[in-house]
Amino acid sequence: MSDTTIGVALEQAAAAYAALGELGEAVEDEWSYVTDLATAWETRLDGVSAARRAEAIDDATLGAIEAAIEEAGLIVDPHRVIDWLSTFPQIVLLALGEPA
Amino acid sequence: MRFQDAARDGRAVVYAGVQADPLVARAATLLADASRAQRLLARAVMNGESSEPDRWRAMFPTLFGPAADNAGRERSEAILEASLAVADRGEQVRSQVRGAVVEELTALLLGRRVGTAAVRRERRILFDGVRAEIHPYDVTVERDGAAEAWDCKWGARGINADVLHQLDDARGHATEEDERLLVGLVVFDARRSCDVRLARQTAPTAATRLVSLETLDALGGSKR
Repeated sequence: MSDTTIGVALEQAAAAYAALGELGEAVEDEWSYVTDLATAWETRLDGVSAARRAEAIDDATLGAIEAAIEEAGLIVDPHRVIDWLSTFPQIVLLALGEPA
Repeated sequence: MRFQDAARDGRAVVYAGVQADPLVARAATLLADASRAQRLLARAVMNGESSEPDRWRAMFPTLFGPAADNAGRERSEAILEASLAVADRGEQVRSQVRGAVVEELTALLLGRRVGTAAVRRERRILFDGVRAEIHPYDVTVERDGAAEAWDCKWGARGINADVLHQLDDARGHATEEDERLLVGLVVFDARRSCDVRLARQTAPTAATRLVSLETLDALGGSKR
């Protein structure tokens, strides 16, 4: 079991997600969709964080979230970023055993 | 109401080649019996950057970790391999292949419910006195009294006013001819993302079925 909590892992995920969102906003025609999409998923992740913030996180789950963060950092094409704005939170939620 | 093959224009010929790619059939067949988590793995890898299998295995511990059973792990490995092959095709081709995979998967699942003979691809629907739509429907179910027309999207972003109007118009024209036509969208993405996309659409959606990543098995008649 890692020393980290779910709250800390989700803070790291939220920072990576915010960076993705900024990249996605470069697609001007999809600005509204990108901001709405980010808000919807951030709200979902915030809800999980609020409920499970202090919970210890196991190594495999932490590794999954860290791998997703690393992968998100590799995506630079803004069109592909928009797809990742939907995919990334689903991966994080799945790792935590939460429904999308 | 009657169905007709789409015109064999240049786009159709090129796209037919994509649909015939063995990788499309392999990926779709694997995904037809996949869990939601395995389908999410495919979505992530096909749209990802990394070609390192271990990174993806780390990202999905429930699929590749010690808790996964052998059969499930084998399928996950096969999905990972096929998805990496799709991702390896280059940006434009991978986009086409992903779309073709969703269509093939849709056709496979529908075939389980209605029989493969009733399931057709790239078909137009004609109504008396109505100009035919240019774009064919990705997958149709053609049977008396219970026809269906489905458009398939890789992601929620693909949902747009044109496709929503086309589907709803077809349903409306069918009703005018006292025919029943179920219309819907199959989106290989989360319902939450689809709802966000639909929220800003002004096109009619009330009578259009939406099948998302979570509910794909409903196409085949399963509640799994």
